[in-house]
Amino acid sequence: MKNRRSVPLPSKLSPKKEKEVPLQGIWSGTISFSLVAIPVQLVKAVEPGRVSFRMLHNKDYSPLLRRMVCPEEGKIIPPEEIIRGYEIGPEKYILITDEELESLSPERSRTIEIVEFIATEDLDALYYDHPYYLVPLKGGEKAYRLLVEVMRRTNKAGLAKFVLGEREYLVAVKSRSGALSLITLHYSEEILPSEDIIPKTEESEAVEKSRLKKIIKAMTANFNPDKYADERRQKIVKLLEKKAKEKAPVEAPEVEEEEGEGAVDLVAVLEESMRKVKRGR
Amino acid sequence: MGKIAAVAGHRLSLSNLEKDLYPAYGFTKAHILEYYRRISPFILPHLQGRALTLKRYPEGVEREFFFEKRCPSHRPDWVATAEIAQTKGERLTFCLVNDLDTLIWVENLASLELHVPLARAASPATPDSLVFDLDPGEPAGILECARVSLILRDLLSQLRLASYVKTSGMKGIHVYVPLNRKATTFADTKKFSKAVAEVMQRNYPDLVTAKIAKEQRRKKVFINWSQNDAAKTMVCVYSLRAREKPFVSFTRTWEELEALAGRGDPEKFHVLPEEALRRAEKSGDLFRDLLVKKQQLPYL
Amino acid sequence: MAGRAIWKGYIHFGGFQVPVKLHTAVKEERIQFHLLHRRDQVKLQQQMVCAYEKAPVPVEEQTRGFELEEGKYLLVAPGELAQAEPEDSRMIEVHEFVKSTQIDPIFLERVYYLEPDGPVKGYNALAGSLGEMDVEGICTWTMRKRSYVGALQMSGKMLRLNTLRYADEVISVQSLELEKTPLSEKELLIGVDLLKQMTAPFQPQKFVNEHRKKLQQLIDKKARGEKIVLLRPRRLKPTASDKLLAALEASLKKVA
Repeated sequence: MKNRRSVPLPSKLSPKKEKEVPLQGIWSGTISFSLVAIPVQLVKAVEPGRVSFRMLHNKDYSPLLRRMVCPEEGKIIPPEEIIRGYEIGPEKYILITDEELESLSPERSRTIEIVEFIATEDLDALYYDHPYYLVPLKGGEKAYRLLVEVMRRTNKAGLAKFVLGEREYLVAVKSRSGALSLITLHYSEEILPSEDIIPKTEESEAVEKSRLKKIIKAMTANFNPDKYADERRQKIVKLLEKKAKEKAPVEAPEVEEEEGEGAVDLVAVLEESMRKVKRGR
Repeated sequence: MGKIAAVAGHRLSLSNLEKDLYPAYGFTKAHILEYYRRISPFILPHLQGRALTLKRYPEGVEREFFFEKRCPSHRPDWVATAEIAQTKGERLTFCLVNDLDTLIWVENLASLELHVPLARAASPATPDSLVFDLDPGEPAGILECARVSLILRDLLSQLRLASYVKTSGMKGIHVYVPLNRKATTFADTKKFSKAVAEVMQRNYPDLVTAKIAKEQRRKKVFINWSQNDAAKTMVCVYSLRAREKPFVSFTRTWEELEALAGRGDPEKFHVLPEEALRRAEKSGDLFRDLLVKKQQLPYL
Repeated sequence: MAGRAIWKGYIHFGGFQVPVKLHTAVKEERIQFHLLHRRDQVKLQQQMVCAYEKAPVPVEEQTRGFELEEGKYLLVAPGELAQAEPEDSRMIEVHEFVKSTQIDPIFLERVYYLEPDGPVKGYNALAGSLGEMDVEGICTWTMRKRSYVGALQMSGKMLRLNTLRYADEVISVQSLELEKTPLSEKELLIGVDLLKQMTAPFQPQKFVNEHRKKLQQLIDKKARGEKIVLLRPRRLKPTASDKLLAALEASLKKVA
């Protein structure tokens, strides 16, 4: 994809082949199989390519943030004053704290225990939810590499369960180009049945099928993901480039920086920073 | 032998000026008072508005000492105080060393060491800064602490946090991170410093420990994160220490610390009062920014 | 029962056409929590608030902007974005066919079931052909104003569309900067043995969301007023590099 611009736009708009992004630790803990334990950190494996916009206040162009508001008072409520509640009746709630959630599966909130291995070809993409990478933490490099190599040689994936945040996931751990990838999976009870969709009969015209196969053969090629571009994204980028040339951007007023959104694990970030420090030393 | 002195506007009765409080070194009360008088422009900003814990050595460093939190009842009426609720609920009146007079009066009581909390008396639950108290377990010493503090500084830089370092005046090193925000709590600073200490331990298990148990601390540098507490105090920068020699808890630039660690001589880390005065008068208070720089702990 | 059909289209390539209906394949089951004000348990709402004024902002005062650099935005009116939206069309255009094994699983995003919308014979012919030739059709389509690229697959007797990620959305393994730690052949052989011993057929129904059950139990316990005991998360001790071989051998003994 060629990107011809006269006004330089931030790098997030310029498409790159398989992104190089700074790593963001989401979780850190241990991955284990039988008696081998490997300290690891969970990081993103995909970054959405959509052009992302911010909502602004049209009065002063100050960015808008998503916050929890008390509807009666119209006031923003800070995180320390917020608690999670499960509704058991009209305006009746059972309150659940973070510690109580974490203590539901204490062994699983810091450990991904691989309970069995399966052949990778048996893992149906129907179950795939979201992919991540695992990177080894200090001391775990050798055991990590062993697991990667052994899964590659046997063409297998590991199945495990682990808890992240409020949810417990079934995950597949796979080997990809020398790294471990972790894919969260849907539970089989979440997969909708398809029996009523599948045609009751397999009937087809033999002639049609043979013609079809000829066409398919003629259209067979090697898979190259770079061939396909997000057209909508390209159109939006063009639109933005045009705007950048025509008008100066508006400026938002200085705001005191708020605490970051999103539950990024402190420990994961520290471990990631530590890696960078050690590389520099 | 007493003396009445007019110190910055108040009349103070000074006693036992010839008493040698550091007998092995030869540092008398008069010397101590003189040191604190000259270091006062640098030390006072760090004492002002803070509940003082005195550490008194009336008979000198080789004899008994006692901590005194409650401001002595025989204090002059011009000594500023503050009442602070303690952990069990009782309220104690603390001295506030807000001016030179009070500093001299306190030193006259042979409070060789001055210890203050991380929060000001007006807002005792809000720490102005976060501290990493590095304490070496034998046979580790100040060199190992220096190594750890340099790694810590790099780690904090990755998180865009500026940090400042001083020697404890004994075997340890203190790394401070200024915060100076009303919203910061001790729960925040404790959580953060604990997480950092544990990550350091995991990555340098032979050099660092985050565990308080004495057996775990042999040969390692203990990062005492639990000092980040409303009930705890740290020795104030520029305070004397009650060791054989009157070493000062003194500030270092990170470049100096790096050079000292490289040279490998533990003795070179220690600063005596003369040198402290000379350096402070030449370069000013290196800890000045600790009082004003606003920073926010990320990812809490 | 499969989910309701969410869209209708027709697969098209080389003069061949199959009308289909798209169904979602997954329904997530989650325990829903509300966020409450600790003080009085009033249910809170998520709203857009102004970072500067720190107050909620009504929809009429909201506008969209693209951040060019810190604090500077290009304003985009709703009508302008609409121009970038792809034309609605019902065509699922197949551009090429590739061997199933060529598609790196990391590109696979979400599966939709395809149901024949009317004539069945063409659908079956296509499904049968894809199955017998072990290929997938790479296709593009637009749905609800978004453009997609996906793989047309056969599974069982059914056709499926598996959406694909764009190439630049996948983070490269190079950026992880992993070390190439050397391994001994002995460790590798024992590792392979261990894996084989721990291999089982893929039976996803074995795995149940226990956490959800435990969460429901916790809620019930609290509703009854019972005391909750908190357990602390535990960390496993990492296997040291020089103890790796021993751990592998012990594991093999354990599973065999």
